[in-house]
Formats: sequence, C-alpha cells, structure tokens
Amino acid sequence: MLLDFSRLGPWRLVLVLIALLVGAYLLLPILLIVGLSFGSSRWLQFPPPGWTLRWYRELFDDPAWIASFLTSFRIAAVVTVLSVVIGLMASFGLTRGEFRGRELLRALFLTPMILPVVVLAVALYAFFLRLHLNGTFTGFVLAHLVVALPFSIIAISNALERFDRDIETAAIVCGASPLEAKLRVTLPGIRLGLMSAALFSFLASWDEVVIAIFMASPDLQTLPVRIFSTLRQDLSPVIAAVSTVLIALTAGLMALAALLRKDARS
Amino acid sequence: MTLSHAAHVPSPARPRRLPAGLAAVTPAFALVAVVFVLPVLALLLRSVLEPEPGLQNYAAFFASTTYLKVLGNTFLVAATVTVATVLLGFPVAWFLAIAPGFWSRLLFAVVILSMWTNLLARTYAWMVLLQRTGLINRTLMNLGLISEPLPLINNLVGVTIGMTYIMLPFMILPLHATIRSIDPSVFQAASLCGASRWQAFTRVMLPLTATGIAAGALMVFVMSLGYFITPALLGGTSNMMLAELIAQLVQSLLDWGLAGAAALVLLVVTLAIYAVQLRFFGFGQARS
Repeated sequence: MLLDFSRLGPWRLVLVLIALLVGAYLLLPILLIVGLSFGSSRWLQFPPPGWTLRWYRELFDDPAWIASFLTSFRIAAVVTVLSVVIGLMASFGLTRGEFRGRELLRALFLTPMILPVVVLAVALYAFFLRLHLNGTFTGFVLAHLVVALPFSIIAISNALERFDRDIETAAIVCGASPLEAKLRVTLPGIRLGLMSAALFSFLASWDEVVIAIFMASPDLQTLPVRIFSTLRQDLSPVIAAVSTVLIALTAGLMALAALLRKDARS
Repeated sequence: MTLSHAAHVPSPARPRRLPAGLAAVTPAFALVAVVFVLPVLALLLRSVLEPEPGLQNYAAFFASTTYLKVLGNTFLVAATVTVATVLLGFPVAWFLAIAPGFWSRLLFAVVILSMWTNLLARTYAWMVLLQRTGLINRTLMNLGLISEPLPLINNLVGVTIGMTYIMLPFMILPLHATIRSIDPSVFQAASLCGASRWQAFTRVMLPLTATGIAAGALMVFVMSLGYFITPALLGGTSNMMLAELIAQLVQSLLDWGLAGAAALVLLVVTLAIYAVQLRFFGFGQARS
C-alpha cells in the first residue's frame, strides 16, 4: 500500500506537496540565475525591469574571463587524458593482478575522494611552495589528477569486472597477442566505462575550486577561481552570465550521458 | 571482488603476470604517494614540529574558546543540514520511487541538474536570494510578514540553507535506491494483517529503510564537516567553520603548526565516521 501511488490515500497529498516544494527549492535558484543573466538591472532586481545581453557582452569582451575559461579547459583536457590512461592501467592491475595488498591499494587510490578537500588543498599548497609549482600549469594538472583519478578508477574497474574475460582469452587463442587482444577486444568492450571515466575526470577538474584557490596566481587562474574571487567583491550580473553558460554546458553533458546510457541499453 | 577462474590457472603464455599487475598500478601509486600521501603527512607533521617539537598546537587549539566555537559551529551546521536533508529527502525519494513515470522522471531530472550545476553558480544564486535586499526578504516585506529585512546571509542561517540545498541530492539518490529495492508485497502482508498506513510506515517502511537513511546521513554529515566554499561565501567572519579556519590560518596568519593541528582534527573526525560507515554498512553504500 505504501509503495502504490494510487493507494496512498491522504498521504499522497503530503508526498506530492513536499515533492513539489523540494522540486521548486532545487530548480528555482537555477532558473533565477538564468533570468538574472538576461536582466538589465545591475542590482539584480527580480523580475528584471528589462532584458539585455549586456552581461554576456561584458563577459565575452573581457580577455581575462576568456583566458581563465581556456585555462580551465586546457587543464581539464590534460587531466582527463592522464586520468583515463593511469586509471585504466591501475584498474587492470587492481582487478586482474594477484599481489598482496590489492584491496588496501584500492582503498588508498580512492581516499582522495573522501577526505576533506581543504586539507589536501593546504597540504599541496605547502608542498608546491617548495617545488615552485604553485601557479603553474603542471601544478594544476598534478593536483587535479589526484582528485580525478578515483572517479576514473571506479568507472573503469566496474566496467572491467563486468567484462567477460573469456572473450579476451578467445582472441588470444585465435592468435592475437595479449596486448593486441586488450587493445582490440577488451578496450572496445569497456568503452562505456572509459567514457564515463573521461566525463567524470573532466568534471572533477573543471569544477574543482578549493585547491585551485590556493594554487592560483594572478597570471594563471581557472574559471572557478575567477568566479570565487569576483564573488568575494560583488554580486555582479556578469557572474550570472558565466553561471548560465556553465549551466548550459552541464545540461549538454547530462543529455550526452543520457544518450550514453540509452546506447548501453540497446 | 572475485577473480575469474582463468586467473588462477597458471598459463604458460603469460609467465610474468604477477609483476605485470604490479607494474600497471605503479603510475597511479607514484602519483597518489607523491602528490597526496606525502604532502598530507608533511602538513600533519608540522602540527607537532612547528614552531617547536611538542603538542603545544593541540593544547592551543583546544584551550582557545574561539577555536572551540569554530568546532561547535561546524558540528552544529553539519548536524542541522543532515537532519534537514533526511526530512526533505525521504519524502522526495519516496515520491521518485512510486510516482507515475512522467512526474518522477521530471523531478529526477531536476535533482540531477541541480547536483551537476556548478557549485559556485548555485552558491551565487543563494547569495542573491538571501541578501538584505534579496528576493526572499523583499517578498516577505511586501507580504507584510516582516518590517525589517531578516539577516539571512553572512551567518550560520545562510550557510545552513545553502548547504542543505547542495547536500539534498546526496541524500535523495541513495534513499531512492533503497526504497525502490523494497518488495511491495511486504506492504500487502502488513495490510492483510490489519496494519494501518501509519503502522505500516513506522513498523515496516522505516525499519526497511533505516540502513539507507543512516548511510546517507553519515555521508552528508561528513561531507558537511569539511565543506569550504559555501561557508566561505554565505557565512560571516565571526561565525567560521573548520575548513575556513584552516584556510585562514594558512593564508592570513601563516600559522602552519596550528593549521596542521586543525587539519588533523578534521581528518580524525572524518575517518572515524567513515570507519563507522565501513563497519556497519560496507563500502558499497559509501560509494553509491
């Protein structure tokens, strides 16, 4: 009775009401940002007195915003490639290797995901001070790689565990070398795992802000750092425009992920 | 985590399998050891080495009313956010599990969209909404409910509202999976035995979902404890949380010893809660 929507009786009303309220709570702030980004009020009046594209023009005319957008993209792209390659190798080792301490190693690899990121941020800042890596591209890539790798290892390990290894063995029996079998049989077999590893690695780096705040220099700022430091000064509508661009990208990635899932089912 | 049978059969084609497995994990291990373990250990070590060897940083941390207040704020906000996400998240997860297809898919998409939207964009929205002249204060004043704007930002109220917003999906999604996994026939049985809806809820549904609620609550609680961005933007300077304190000790005060001590306190609490999670619910729940 409690799992049958039509037989909930008076409880149904309560459930619908709360679902409606929480849905609004989750959705309205996002719609508000989109609305404000097209609104003409510098003081963020809502509903806006008029409509304008001025904040987008300010955004795209500002070389500093474009530079940090590109910086974020470059870092995330390099992190994605490295995270998938290193994660793929580690996943092979973790799911198929037979050495002692495998589970311990898996736990170690996943730890950066569960520890408070501020601790890692402060620790890396101190460490990179000695190595002169703060404010460098290499520093950003290394730091974001540590954050992205757990996502990659989880996605690829899951795919590898589901993949029927006998298919790879069959390829070897038919004359393929072990490497050839991995490249031409196993990799295509786990491609969905690889794609979600890439997607989550990219997002982990693209959205990462805490470590980046500590590491950024005036010359090298990622997009989140620039948003954060702007927000500390004022609530400029330009931020609404940046946020809307980011929301559109997110919605696009969501659609892509939904397509991937559909592809996986068919 | 069972290996396939083939793995146990010694195969002449690949005599060097053992080292191969190890070689494959080496790059990941090197990265995590050098860019994660080493720096974190070095930071924690500084708490007992700087400015001189000893435990004076910990003594200073636990003797200072300012720092104890920060610790209190942190636990208070994390606990409030956890309770709020359970109370709001449970009915939503329930609705998602049983509502007609279109409505549950729609709400599901909203939950996912909000979770995936950039954290700073979401925090910005709440800064706009909660400010003195923001939409919420203006609406309440226009309705005549208040005559003065409520102080909703630069304090713990703002932090709690913003963090509840950000943590809700992390409660809804696992709970949704838990509720969906319940066999509907247990409720038919309860109903046949004469249970009212309320009895079925308290004696059947709650016990069956208790593990899911506890796992979600622990995860939200532990994530809230170490949160930095939302408290930094929605909170005030007089009511800090632990993560902000660590950042400030490093950035403005350059007190690495005390920052290391505060970091260790945060790590110990976090790991203790994960240990509870691991002990009672296994690692699968923590990951989902």
